[in-house]
Amino acid sequence: MTLDTYNAAHSARRRADEHWSRRRDLERQLHDGAALRIAALALRLGLLAQKAPHDIGDLPHDIEELQNQLHLIQQELRAVADRIYPPLLHEAGLGPALCELASSTPLRVDAGGGRFDPAVEGVAYFVILGVLAALPPATRTVDVVIRRDADGLALNLGNVDTGQIGAVRDRVQWVGGAAEAGDGLIGTIKVRIPCE
Amino acid sequence: MRVALADDGALFRDGLVMLLEAAGHEVVGCTADGDTLVELLATEPADVAVLDIRMPPEPDGGLPTAERLRADHPEMGLLFLSHYAEAHYLMRVLHIGTEAIGYRLKEKVGSVEVLSDTLTRIRDGEIVIEPVLAQRLVERPASSRRDMLATLSEREMDVLRLMSEGRSNAGIASLLFVAAKSIEKHISSIFMKLGLPSDAAEQHRRVLAVLTFLRTVQDSG
Repeated sequence: MTLDTYNAAHSARRRADEHWSRRRDLERQLHDGAALRIAALALRLGLLAQKAPHDIGDLPHDIEELQNQLHLIQQELRAVADRIYPPLLHEAGLGPALCELASSTPLRVDAGGGRFDPAVEGVAYFVILGVLAALPPATRTVDVVIRRDADGLALNLGNVDTGQIGAVRDRVQWVGGAAEAGDGLIGTIKVRIPCE
Repeated sequence: MRVALADDGALFRDGLVMLLEAAGHEVVGCTADGDTLVELLATEPADVAVLDIRMPPEPDGGLPTAERLRADHPEMGLLFLSHYAEAHYLMRVLHIGTEAIGYRLKEKVGSVEVLSDTLTRIRDGEIVIEPVLAQRLVERPASSRRDMLATLSEREMDVLRLMSEGRSNAGIASLLFVAAKSIEKHISSIFMKLGLPSDAAEQHRRVLAVLTFLRTVQDSG
C-alpha cells in the first residue's frame, strides 16, 4: 500500500466512524427526547382519567383510546430508531441485536461473544438486513455465523442470494472489509472486516 | 403499597410519582440512577422497586441495580420499565429472578388500574410480562420452534399466549370465559405437544419454561 492509498483508507474509515457514531447519537436523541415525552404524556393522561368525575360519560374511554394512540406512536418511533441504529446493537452488540432480529425474521444466528466498534457493528448489521430484504418472502432460513478472530470480524452468511455480493462489498469496503461469494444462486457470502 | 423508583428521565419520573400517589401508593424513594436507589433502599423498606432499564450506570443500569436489590432484599418486588420491549432484556430479567418480577413498557402502565394491578401481582410473587412481548414470542418464535408450535390448536395458542404473560389458570379461564378445568386440559396438551415437563403447581417455572422454549436461550452476557 502506498502512502496515498494508506491515507485515503484511513480517512474513509474515519468518516465511517463519524457516520455511525452520529446515527447512534440520533437514536439516543429519539430515546431521551420524543420517546420520553410520549411515555410521560401517557402517565399524565392516566392522572387526568383518575381526576375526572366518574359520571362524565365517555371520557375515561376516550383517554384510554388516546393512550393507545400514544403506544402506537411509540412503536412507530421504535421502528424508526431501529433503522437508524438499533438500541440493542449499541447496548449489547451484534450477537444480541441479531438474535432479537431473528424473532421477527427467518434468521438463525450463531454469535460468539465480543464487541466491535460502532461502525463495524453498524455495517455488519445493515449488511445482514440488506441481504434479508433481497430474499423473496418465505424462502429458507438464513444462517448467520459471527466470530472474532485475530484479524477482526468474520461473518458468514449461508442460504443467501449470492447475487447480493456487489451490494455487500460496497457496504463493507467502507470500513476496509472484503466479501466473497460461494457458488450457486443461493449459497454463502463470507465477509471479513479488520478490527483493532 | 410502598414503592421506590429510579429513572433518569425527570419528566417520566415525576409523572410516575404523581400517578402512584393518585393510586394511593406511598413513594418511599425516587432517584435518577440505580446506585442512589440501592443506597436509599438499604435503610428504607419498600414492597416494590420500579427500575428504568436504560439508566446510569450505563448502558443498562437497571439490570445490575436489580441484581444488587434482589441480593440485599430477596422479598422486594422488581418492576422494569422500558421504552422498548425486547426478548433480550426479558431473558436477562428472568435470569435475575422468576418470582416477584415484571417487565413492562413505560407507556402501557399509564392508568391507576393497570399500574396497581401490575404492582400487586409483582408484590404477590408473580411474573408480569408486557403482553405485546409475550404475544410476539408466541406468534413469532425462534425459527427452530415454529414447526412444533404449528401443532397447537387455535385455543391452545390463546392459552399459551396468556400463560407467557404470567397469568394463572384461574386468570386465563376468566379471560377466555371457560372453566379452570378445561384450561388445565389445554395446558397439559400444550406441554405434551411442546415436549415440556408438566408441573401445573409451579406457575413461575411454567412461564419460564414456555418463554425459554419460545426463545432458544441466548447467552445474554
